Amino acid sequence: MGKTSIEKIIARASGRDVKPGDRVWCNIDISSARDFAGPNCCLQFDQVTEGKGKVWDPDKVAFTFDLQAPAHAEKVANNQKIIREFAKRQGIKKVFDINWGIGQHVMLENGVVKPGHVVLGTDSHMNLLGGAGIFATGVGNTDIVASWILGKLWFRVPETLKITVKGQFQKGVCMRDFLTHLVGELRADGLLYKAAEFYGPVIENSSLAERITLCSMVTEMSGKIALIQPNGEVLDWLVERGGEEVRASVESMKADPDAGYCEELEFDVTELEPLVSAPHAPDNVKTVREVAGTKLDQVHIGSCSNGRFEDIAAAFEILKAAEFKIAPHVRCIITPTTREVMTQCAKAGFIEKFLEAGIVFTNPTCSLCTAEHYGVVPSDDVAMSTTNRNFLGKVGKGSSTFLASPMTAMASAVRGEITDPRDILR
Amino acid sequence: MKSNIVKGRTWVFGDDVDTDLIYHNKYLAITDPKEMPQYAFEYYPGKEHFAREVKEGDVVVAGKNFGCGSSREHAVYCLKEGGIPVVLAESFARIYYRNAVNNGYPVLVVPGVSSKFSDGDDIEINLETGEVINLTTGEKMHGDAVTDLEKDIMSHGGLIEYLKAQAARKN
Repeated sequence: MGKTSIEKIIARASGRDVKPGDRVWCNIDISSARDFAGPNCCLQFDQVTEGKGKVWDPDKVAFTFDLQAPAHAEKVANNQKIIREFAKRQGIKKVFDINWGIGQHVMLENGVVKPGHVVLGTDSHMNLLGGAGIFATGVGNTDIVASWILGKLWFRVPETLKITVKGQFQKGVCMRDFLTHLVGELRADGLLYKAAEFYGPVIENSSLAERITLCSMVTEMSGKIALIQPNGEVLDWLVERGGEEVRASVESMKADPDAGYCEELEFDVTELEPLVSAPHAPDNVKTVREVAGTKLDQVHIGSCSNGRFEDIAAAFEILKAAEFKIAPHVRCIITPTTREVMTQCAKAGFIEKFLEAGIVFTNPTCSLCTAEHYGVVPSDDVAMSTTNRNFLGKVGKGSSTFLASPMTAMASAVRGEITDPRDILR
Repeated sequence: MKSNIVKGRTWVFGDDVDTDLIYHNKYLAITDPKEMPQYAFEYYPGKEHFAREVKEGDVVVAGKNFGCGSSREHAVYCLKEGGIPVVLAESFARIYYRNAVNNGYPVLVVPGVSSKFSDGDDIEINLETGEVINLTTGEKMHGDAVTDLEKDIMSHGGLIEYLKAQAARKN
């Protein structure tokens, strides 16, 4: 039987033929940590190696500062300093400090991670890099420390689902809505210990931003990774960032025609309508029509799932259709994923229009996914967000969050209540 | 390794208990595992008192997909360092399971377990055989302990200890 893309990547990294269920040790291409858990990794590495250890390859270790960037508290500032000093001592050059943005995106834009790579990070949404054909997985600090010592890490080769996506999105409906639909269908544990590969015309014609969105919530189905074979303009972009060798890597990870998938699913997006994940679980899926009119206090557009230029541009189009006005009582916050995306937004003239509309446009950061930095939602307030989790109390005790697409989020900011973006676009 | 028989009192949780409910993101800046137990389950409705009232040896029993969400190892440390000898669930989220194994922290998959216990039941668990008894109701059930490489890592007490043993064997 042939091999899936994921099996091919693992075979290359482990130097052996693999099948689902095998335990293997993979060579790691990049082992990264962020300002959250990164300090724990540095302290644990020093403790385990009695302060004398050297990481296996300083060029394959990277640090990103995104969770609490810039630092808002002394403890956090000191944690970030632990990383900077560790990196300096270890000769680690790939340090993307508080001025860069969300780690996976920054590493992708800067050609640090490339298709076919095996990548680790202390972020459970590392696997959004599957949208660029990268086998990336979120791990705890012990895994990171082990990888820094060995340059390898253990994996259980996952069973893989093949998901084919056909049809055409209607106006006002986008990849986020399909993702929400998928999470609702497969549920919170639907991909437990498994991986997925996406195929079909909707995928082949999608932008990198859409692919990242689609792969970003595999964790919300408890999956390991979802992978998309880079093609077309996405492949050209990845070559531009990662170098010519990316083409060969992409070619060598193509799934065999007779690859063994544990299950094959097919979806058609043509009839899909705008969806939300209602409080307090990503798989609590409802149509926007069902919850339309729910009054909102705060709207957030951004995050590693939906904060790329295309996402912010989609929100901008809705705001434009509403003559650049949002509901006066709504606190609307937009967060680009990276400095590069923020610059694109500035050049496109978006930021000025957002500011004029009374929208807060922040630096790139993960802050709005926590209740610890800024943008915390107070008790009994109702929020809408394009992030990937609406767990009870995650962004503030007693608050509720609806997850939605950038278009639905902006349409809802415009009206001050949950609104179908098609009502604004018509 | 200590005795394979664990006896304690149960705290019962539902399905899809996410890492923010186990250990909230508000406390992620903490780096010392010993400081983490005081925040365990602070955001879990109806179990806000867990950290104050939990006793050494108490056992956490949960439904499906325990530990979904973040990769934070804090969610393992806050129970391990808090004296919880084992977590029983109908299934574990992938990263949580992995973090537990890497720390030599026993996790047992027991089908239907969350409906077979109430808060405060007396429980007996054989970590070696996977036998679980509800001493309050008398019901017996069977759980699946880790296998394969994971078992090997667990038996060394965690991933770092496993690697040290491997390195010592080579030298």
